Amino acid sequence: MMDFLNLIPVTWLPLLESVFYALVFPGFIAILLLAFFIIWFERKAAARVQMRYGPLWVSKRTGGIAQLLADMIRFSFQEFIVPEGADLIPFVFLPGFLLAFSVLPTLFIPIGPYYSHIFPAGYTLLLSVAFTLVIPVYLVVLGWAADNKFSFIGALREAYLLISYEVPFILAIASAFLLYGTLNLVEVVTIQERSLPGIILNPVAALVFLIAVIRATGRGPYDIVEADSELVFGPYVEYSSLMFGFVMGVPYIELYSYSLLFSVLFLGGWAPITGVGFLGGLIIPGIVTFVKAVIVMCALVFLRGVYPRYKLDKAVRAGWSWVFYLALIALLLSAFMSRVL
Amino acid sequence: MAEKSQKKSPLSDVKGHIGALSTGFKYLIDPHRITLDYPAEVMELPSNYRGFFRLIDEKCIGCSLCEIVCPSNAIVMTQLPVAQPAQDATRPPPKFKKRPLVDWGMCIFCYFCVDVCPTEAFEPSQVHDISYFKESDYRPTFDAFLKLPESPFKGSKKVVPKVDEKKGIRYEEKVNKN
Repeated sequence: MMDFLNLIPVTWLPLLESVFYALVFPGFIAILLLAFFIIWFERKAAARVQMRYGPLWVSKRTGGIAQLLADMIRFSFQEFIVPEGADLIPFVFLPGFLLAFSVLPTLFIPIGPYYSHIFPAGYTLLLSVAFTLVIPVYLVVLGWAADNKFSFIGALREAYLLISYEVPFILAIASAFLLYGTLNLVEVVTIQERSLPGIILNPVAALVFLIAVIRATGRGPYDIVEADSELVFGPYVEYSSLMFGFVMGVPYIELYSYSLLFSVLFLGGWAPITGVGFLGGLIIPGIVTFVKAVIVMCALVFLRGVYPRYKLDKAVRAGWSWVFYLALIALLLSAFMSRVL
Repeated sequence: MAEKSQKKSPLSDVKGHIGALSTGFKYLIDPHRITLDYPAEVMELPSNYRGFFRLIDEKCIGCSLCEIVCPSNAIVMTQLPVAQPAQDATRPPPKFKKRPLVDWGMCIFCYFCVDVCPTEAFEPSQVHDISYFKESDYRPTFDAFLKLPESPFKGSKKVVPKVDEKKGIRYEEKVNKN
């Protein structure tokens, strides 16, 4: 084993580390395992709030946590149907692209103080935000490619929502930048360790960030794009078999990367734990950040059981009125707090 | 109405959101389920509940009244060969008998046939929750029609709905008196 490690050139190690981050821990495999839990939690929480049982009969002792596994087995044995008028290449390849692009932001979000990789560390906030904001463009193309009126209407709704949530989201990110004065997420956490978590320093920015995340991932009252009672499943309506599993997972992976970003920006990341070495500097901080992100995710998917769906025009109007005003207030508050810090 | 909602202060909106979220959280911790845990708990059916029925071959006289009265045309009279002809010297033995066959996919369980039968040749039951894998299984053969289907709720709990002031509806386990 050691001989094998010696064979790897030292210059490759940051690259390998980045691949590990993207594929294993904060990235792909962790997300897949988390998706089982979070989808189960969403169904179960909505069921409990709405006086039902939710998934129960697949592994009844654990409350039906294997339901998604059963669904996945069923999907994988289904036929993948390509509709007659569909644009073949985007229709077939976009789910994979979407999945890959939704995982990519986790590559730039540090989960521990010793986070070195091949990308410039001074721009991690900017890079992660940039990669999260690529996904809606693919969604619009996906809705167009399927040649279905439901998917097309879903894509149009995504485009409408996009312009209403991205401006407050960018303003929330800008106020975080103004507050900490750096785009390096490791430094952001160090500043929060020195003072207070960002959610106390600027609660308005955190609120605007969360509202934008709910809109971007289609949770809670803003599941306008997927709107299962109106549009069946929005842009994803024509997908079947394993491809449906892919596109169904995309909003959850997006939600995960946004939550990870939220836990680093506003909840202090790995803040209470600062150690050295492999265990204290890498494993425990990673787990702390991850658990914070999971708590944020649980809180966001819980909203689905409480709120009815917003109308599109009301959501867009809210995005350009009070959410926008809140974002401006957050910017002012950040300007004030950065003087205090 | 629209003007009224515009005049509402933003603080009352915040109050409403907090109220909704806290109610939701309360139910998340302490759920008030009003649905039945269906295959494990089954509601106690009334005694006149209309389920699957079977044909008693010895009582049936092949009069076709059930076929005539059936509103959904689920019953069709079928000619079946007689296995053991009756020993009657005065008349030639009949080679065929007419018997009803039912399509459960078309049957609406109205029990007109059970009521109209002059010899009470249909035996009713309360078994209703049965599904089949194949469409052809919905049309039982003559031999299958002579037997009642088995109830799928062998180990399930029989419950009775009770009105509860706090939860709305509550299911109590039925206590057998005998």
